[in-house]
Amino acid sequence: MSDTESRDSREVEQSDTEDGYEPRDIFGTTTEMDLRSGADNCTKVGTCDAECPVAEVDDDFPGPQFQGPEQWRLSSKGDVEIDDSVTKCSNCLRCDSGCPSGVPFSEMHNTARAKYVLEDQPLSIKKIRNRILANYRTSAWLASKLPRTANFFMNNGIVRWLMEKTMKIPSEREFPEFATQTFREWWAERGGEATSKERAQEARAQRGDAPVHSDEKRVAYFHGCYSNYNTTQVAKSMVRAYESLGYEITVPKQKCSGTPMFANGRVDDARRHAKVNVEHLGDAIEDGYDVICTCSSCSLALRQEYPDLFDLDGIDELAAHTYDALEYLRIHEDLEAELEGATVDAPDVAYHAPCHSRNQGLGRQAVELFADVDGVAVTDVGDSCSGISGTYGWKAEKYETSMAIGEEMFEHMEAVDAETGMTECPTCAMQMEHGTGYEIMHPIEVLETALT
Amino acid sequence: MTATSPDVLVIGGGSTGVGIARDAAMRGFDVTLVEKGNLTHGTTGRMHGLLHSGGRYAVSDQASARECIEENMILRDIAAHCVEDTGGLFVKRPEDSAEYYQRKLEGLVECSIPATELTAQEARAREPFLARDIDKAIEVPDAAIDPFRLCVANAKSAQDHGARIETFSEVTDLLVEDGEIVGAEITHESGAGKRVHGTEGTVEEIHVDHVVNAAGAWTGEIAAMADIDVEVRPSKGVMTIMNVRQVDTVINRCQPKGDADIVVPHETTAILGTTDEEVGDPADYPEEQWEVDLMIEELAKLVPILEDARTIRSFWGVRPLYEPPETGTDDPTDITREFFLLDHDERDAFPGMTTIVGGKLTTYRLMAEQLVDHLAGKFGLDSTSRTAEEPLPGSEDESVLDEAMDDFGLRSPVAKRSAERLGSRTADVLDTDEPNPVVCGCEAVTRAEVADAIEQSGTDLNAVRIRTRAGMGNCQGGFCSHRLANELHPEFDEGQARAALDELYQERWKGQRHALWGKQLSQAMITYAMHALTMNRDRDPATSEDAPDFGAFDAGPASTPGAAEDGESADGATGVVTDGSGGDRRGD
Ligand SMILES: Cc1cc2nc3c(=O)[nH]c(=O)nc-3n(C[C@H](O)[C@H](O)[C@H](O)COP(=O)(O)OP(=O)(O)OC[C@H]3O[C@@H](n4cnc5c(N)ncnc54)[C@H](O)[C@@H]3O)c2cc1C
Ligand code: SF4
Ligand code: SF4
Repeated sequence: MSDTESRDSREVEQSDTEDGYEPRDIFGTTTEMDLRSGADNCTKVGTCDAECPVAEVDDDFPGPQFQGPEQWRLSSKGDVEIDDSVTKCSNCLRCDSGCPSGVPFSEMHNTARAKYVLEDQPLSIKKIRNRILANYRTSAWLASKLPRTANFFMNNGIVRWLMEKTMKIPSEREFPEFATQTFREWWAERGGEATSKERAQEARAQRGDAPVHSDEKRVAYFHGCYSNYNTTQVAKSMVRAYESLGYEITVPKQKCSGTPMFANGRVDDARRHAKVNVEHLGDAIEDGYDVICTCSSCSLALRQEYPDLFDLDGIDELAAHTYDALEYLRIHEDLEAELEGATVDAPDVAYHAPCHSRNQGLGRQAVELFADVDGVAVTDVGDSCSGISGTYGWKAEKYETSMAIGEEMFEHMEAVDAETGMTECPTCAMQMEHGTGYEIMHPIEVLETALT
Repeated sequence: MTATSPDVLVIGGGSTGVGIARDAAMRGFDVTLVEKGNLTHGTTGRMHGLLHSGGRYAVSDQASARECIEENMILRDIAAHCVEDTGGLFVKRPEDSAEYYQRKLEGLVECSIPATELTAQEARAREPFLARDIDKAIEVPDAAIDPFRLCVANAKSAQDHGARIETFSEVTDLLVEDGEIVGAEITHESGAGKRVHGTEGTVEEIHVDHVVNAAGAWTGEIAAMADIDVEVRPSKGVMTIMNVRQVDTVINRCQPKGDADIVVPHETTAILGTTDEEVGDPADYPEEQWEVDLMIEELAKLVPILEDARTIRSFWGVRPLYEPPETGTDDPTDITREFFLLDHDERDAFPGMTTIVGGKLTTYRLMAEQLVDHLAGKFGLDSTSRTAEEPLPGSEDESVLDEAMDDFGLRSPVAKRSAERLGSRTADVLDTDEPNPVVCGCEAVTRAEVADAIEQSGTDLNAVRIRTRAGMGNCQGGFCSHRLANELHPEFDEGQARAALDELYQERWKGQRHALWGKQLSQAMITYAMHALTMNRDRDPATSEDAPDFGAFDAGPASTPGAAEDGESADGATGVVTDGSGGDRRGD
């Protein structure tokens, strides 16, 4: 049919032109974003609903097809009513990666949630709790000032009981341990950028594979909140692994990536933080650095959610220059050769690929990377969702759902011949530990042992 | 037939016919309305959905413009649940005539149509997808109107006032006695009363005091049955439906006249239109792809995003244009949009029938009022119409929509859409103790609303569709037509449900043929795969006369003897795990 062909070719041409579909830069604020056009992509086959871990365990959750394309299509501008079921979505984004037609779920969920929180949700304890969880960085900063006290109080029975009653944070949850020294404190004490440059140069001289003065091997680390305040060992491992390969590291000024804020509909807060991140990471990019993250939700935020939701100068540049820490090395180094013949002294691990890694196409990287390394066996526990999805599992009313979703992963972990877990996402790690009692590692920690 | 209630037969179930039926019934006539298809089968079901402010006629036809603005204000009141106050814009592009823009502005003032000038920036703040390079715009009180709901509500009100409404009942002849029209011969496709598939047709002669010919583009054909000459000049126009609303305001191009100059937001969709081309036969004319292409190309100049947007279907309608003999206008766009009331006694010395033709949907109420005034004069009945004050069923109590209403256990967008459609009938329809799942996800239609529609219209699923919008969304019935058919059971039997399903499915396919590229092509392929393959509807043994040839199946794997012999698995289920160990599988 020639009519059909002619239209198709026109469609292709058009998308390159100035006047094409550009809903993003039209609206001043996120909640005004008109996402109805995104519903054009849906053909209603429901792959999204089959992918959704929450819909699987909760019959009252209408599923992503309704949350996304249907709800947006039914809305009229200025009169968007967001159904309260949006608060049940964990923002795992499996629907986003699963949809064969490219429905912009991430934008749709985040915008819907923001709208719901700002306009529809009645002010309640839950709302205040969500705000505290969303602003994890602030609480974590407070706690880190007094880490031992915080660790004690946070996990003290009476305090926890009070928290459940007053804040609706489930008492089953172990609060994450706060490190006695934050990563940034460690980094400063170690001599910051100057030391890193020295070590990288030493490594390069030793390896003889790159000029001692290199403009190429430079990365800016976005540590996010969690590896700064809690799992500092992940950040430190990254530093040592990268330096051993000759990379100079800088740690720019930064704020929370926004992931917990997106998930709680605090897009306005996320925007403020994003502004700082875009500015400082942008400066580093201009100086020739690429940005790396060790947390998969942070890299997803910088790469996908930022440009989807905000219109800030340099935001697309940042998205284009952001990588996951392992991914970056796998692109720029011949890691297979580096690891050839390496034997590591690490326990065998049951590996869970976080939903947000999968969303970036990185779900298999850890398994592939360590496939030929002696001393560590990495077994993928399959594509189930851990169920915690950041702050989701931290809400009393979601705890059951969160654990029901995680059930399959726990079972698979236990079925694997290993007593340790591995994942890239700090909150998945929390859930894995909570459900199995295993210690959980980050792949970069194993990589460090293999390289150094 | 009592002396106080003269009988009238109204031919045609479009906006004009149902409007007349209501007004006449309210004034004490004994009314029967016959329509050959379902309500809105003709042009009314194939129009653009604009409740004219009159702005479009403010320069060329000020009489029409004045009528429009008056009726516009009335319908907002009496048909609140059919009207969405979208507002409208006349947008001027740089290449459009500045002089015409000025004349438009003056014309609006002359016709008392409220008008406000907007800068390009203001217009784009209101409608962000307007082209960046527009000059300016004029804001007018255009609105969107749902013709289906409007007609159904009029018909319902007529019935409440004692009228008999017969759909799928075609006038096959006019009855003439002594040079006077005394009634008509009606062929009921499935007997009198609600349409039920599989019911045998009947022929009925209806004798009345007066016949009203409101058959739109077909008024000529009706008149010809009594050898009366009414020369209708049908003119076709295309409309293309977009999957989502790119604009929430009616967007007109501010130009003298032209094809493809208006976008009307309609429910969940936006409708692009239109063309104006004379055709010979109102029921048989070519539907061409270039017309659809033209809509998108031209209107993308106002709303560029349309170029990449998904189209779900296109349809054509024919305007029932009429001009008195010897006017001789060449270009159909120049034929007047006014309506004409032809009393055949006065005009042709042939008493017993009046024809009403021309006009617009926006002025349907006024047309009805004038026609019934004419009849009332003839029969000495109440000469004041009450249709301008008395709200239609569903619009009696506007507060339902504004109040924080009970959501009847539905998700909020579903509750909101349902209430918008049902108006003051919302609680009656949705308040049910039964489970009330969503049957059509695209348009948020629940089982209760479908059941209510079935109660009104029998097995006719297209009539259910126009009442509820079920099947009008992006899948075009692919995922809901069978669910709708399922709702017919157990009241109707399996064969009737199948026939109804086939008919709805065909109707939905018809319009999609003009949208087969990009995503709607994928959608059509998925629908086909699902219906033809998964549901085996292209070769369903249940629909064929002959019993399936079970002998043609093989016996299944030989290793599981007995499975095929116990009679239960004769359909080839051998090899399927039936002991429950498959029950753990997820996602299927
Ligand atoms: C493309 C297009 C766009 C339009 N857009 C608008 C708009 O935006 N706003 C507006 O106000 N107006 C619009 N109009 C005009 C408006 O749609 C019509 O004026 C109006 O719908 C006419 O209604 P009607 O009842 O007179 O005719 P119809 O709706 O055609 O009704 C006549 C009925 O008679 C029936 N009939 C025919 N023969 C027989 C028979 N033998 N026995 C029994 N029944 C029979 C037909 O099936 C039909 O249902 C538009 C028209 C077109 C063509
Ligand atoms: S997977 Fe994508 S296309 Fe399929 S139903 Fe879900 S949103 Fe629609
Ligand atoms: S983000 Fe995850 S939880 Fe939310 S709808 Fe999508 S798949 Fe379901």
